[in-house]
Amino acid sequence: MEFNYNDRVLKPGYTSCMGCGEALAMRLVLQACGKNVIFTNATGCSEIFTSRYPTSSWNAPWLHSLFENSAAIASGVYYALKHKGLLGKVSVVATGGDGGTADIGLQCLSGAAERGDDFLYVCWDNEAYMNTGVQRSGLTPFNADTTTSPAGKVSFGNDRCKKDMPQIMAAHGIPYVGIGSCGYYRELGGLVKRAMAIRGPKYLQVHSVCPLGWKSDPAKTIDMAKLAFETCLYPLYEIINGVTKARRAPKDGWKPAEEYLKPQGRFRHLFRAAEGASQIIRIQAVAAANMRKFWPEVAVPQFALDAEAKVAEMDKVTA
Amino acid sequence: MAQASTEEKILITGNVAAAEGAVRAGCRFYFGYPITPQNDLPEYMSARMPAVGGTFVQAESELAAMALLHGAAAAGGRAMTSSSSPGVSLKQEALSYLAGSELPALIVNVQRAGPGLGDVRCGQADYFQATRGGGHGDYRLLVLAPHTVQETFDLAYEAFDLAEKWRCPVMILSDQQLGQMMEPVVPAPMSTLPAVRDLPWALSGAEGGRPKRIVKSFYWRPGELEEFNKRLREKYIKMERELPRWEEDRAADAEIVLVAYGTSARIARDAVGLAREAGIRAGLVRPITLWPFPAAPLVAAAKRGARFLVVEMSWGQMIDDVKLSLYGTPRPVDLCWRAGGGVPDVAEVFEQVRRLAGK
Repeated sequence: MEFNYNDRVLKPGYTSCMGCGEALAMRLVLQACGKNVIFTNATGCSEIFTSRYPTSSWNAPWLHSLFENSAAIASGVYYALKHKGLLGKVSVVATGGDGGTADIGLQCLSGAAERGDDFLYVCWDNEAYMNTGVQRSGLTPFNADTTTSPAGKVSFGNDRCKKDMPQIMAAHGIPYVGIGSCGYYRELGGLVKRAMAIRGPKYLQVHSVCPLGWKSDPAKTIDMAKLAFETCLYPLYEIINGVTKARRAPKDGWKPAEEYLKPQGRFRHLFRAAEGASQIIRIQAVAAANMRKFWPEVAVPQFALDAEAKVAEMDKVTA
Repeated sequence: MAQASTEEKILITGNVAAAEGAVRAGCRFYFGYPITPQNDLPEYMSARMPAVGGTFVQAESELAAMALLHGAAAAGGRAMTSSSSPGVSLKQEALSYLAGSELPALIVNVQRAGPGLGDVRCGQADYFQATRGGGHGDYRLLVLAPHTVQETFDLAYEAFDLAEKWRCPVMILSDQQLGQMMEPVVPAPMSTLPAVRDLPWALSGAEGGRPKRIVKSFYWRPGELEEFNKRLREKYIKMERELPRWEEDRAADAEIVLVAYGTSARIARDAVGLAREAGIRAGLVRPITLWPFPAAPLVAAAKRGARFLVVEMSWGQMIDDVKLSLYGTPRPVDLCWRAGGGVPDVAEVFEQVRRLAGK
């Protein structure tokens, strides 16, 4: 089989880490976007590993931004294209990591969505500031150990749940919100194509496994991403024109949260500390809520119901 | 220098030294955001602050971190933030607001190369931003420039006393090499100050019957803002008289005086050594306060007939202050510079000294 790399939007030779889920997701998402696109890219892993001096992997127009303003630069490009009469011929796609999207870049992204600017925003969600050394972000999951939410004697790591970015974006009333995963890489192209067919602001969030930051086996990147969905800790769905459509639930039913947590070093402390078990139950309860919210027709498994009951017991206000 | 506790000696980076110096001075509020090359500072604080009963917040942006600092300082807490060049640019609006509100706080800038995204390698091109205020309006920061890890600790330890005495935000202007290198530090003992004190300006709620306290930077009655600016100016003039601090090394008889701060000063010092070996009377004046800038040692050297060589990792910022200092006693001022991540090596500085000496 011969590969024609000339047609690749993201050419090979980039310097991502071994087993990088973000690189895989990027390659496929960008390919589906096509070459006749002006990409903007916030600072982060995706920018660094694709533009190693003196080379670039970008086989398409690419504009680097500061950390916080990928969306605003995309808006500016969109207005200029509009003025030139190029709308419909050239598309605009903004990208950024989870920190650049959900934390520092949220204001610019919200502004663009509110104004109705016509571009796709893609968030590579590897669940922490990986490029600067694994600091927590607003999309770091509950109880993950990072360099600024260290697990130890007095802490189980990140003490808050992920910010619900897809719902925040949906609340702007934009016509497309999608959540994909590097584990279901064949589906990424479809998400992009459905998004790009719609005029207006579009938001796509792609769960991207980071073996370095998650301390997971680089050979198991796809498995890890699939487990995130199969345990319902990372629900995959689309909201098109206000209608939510979840990805089909796993054939063999939802899996227990431990299966996803255990292979990752960032959750290792939960399996070591004596009190870790109750924290895993809390995580399982989060998954249970996701199951009920997005797959109301699928029965919630007994282990998830048990976890919910235990959490209710733990949090009961005693008189 | 801060008083040493018995036999304690720790091997830490410059970034951690700034953090620990602040903690030991009673800083109990740290607000930060990830940016290389200062990440080990917030990472250290994320574990250290809970251990001393303080508050660590990783904010959602540099702007928020700076505004958190504003709030904590207004309520009487010893609070700090840290960042690196692009992140410090983001903080400028709030920084101006702090200065205008005359709030004490500590900001650490571990400079990297610019402009724009620049590079995470070493730089000193934020000198103008640091010493001219940086944000909008007429104001200054007290800018301290350490050149060793120990000095980073010591200046962080002292920063809050200075900030509170002068009611002025203090910036420690570090750089990538100084921030990330490790050196042994003899640390000062832990302060016994409470986390939040009832300072004369500090907000503490509406009950208690004390006289009203106002923290603000706006003055809207006609002429009031101008009066406030006059008062600020008088304060800054007083600081210019009282605060300049510097270190001299073989400068007393020097015919060529090198002027450098931070990492550049370490390099310049070695070049002075080479020059002395070659029979050239070279010396070093190392400003420790960049604002107020220490003009006195330069004027003294100029009166002796010395010429000057400024060594900095920027294509010429501190050199302006050197020239301004010599306004009344003009002498030749040359520049040895590297920028954009380049670090001058001792040989190239020495080579320029040798050329200036005509040898």
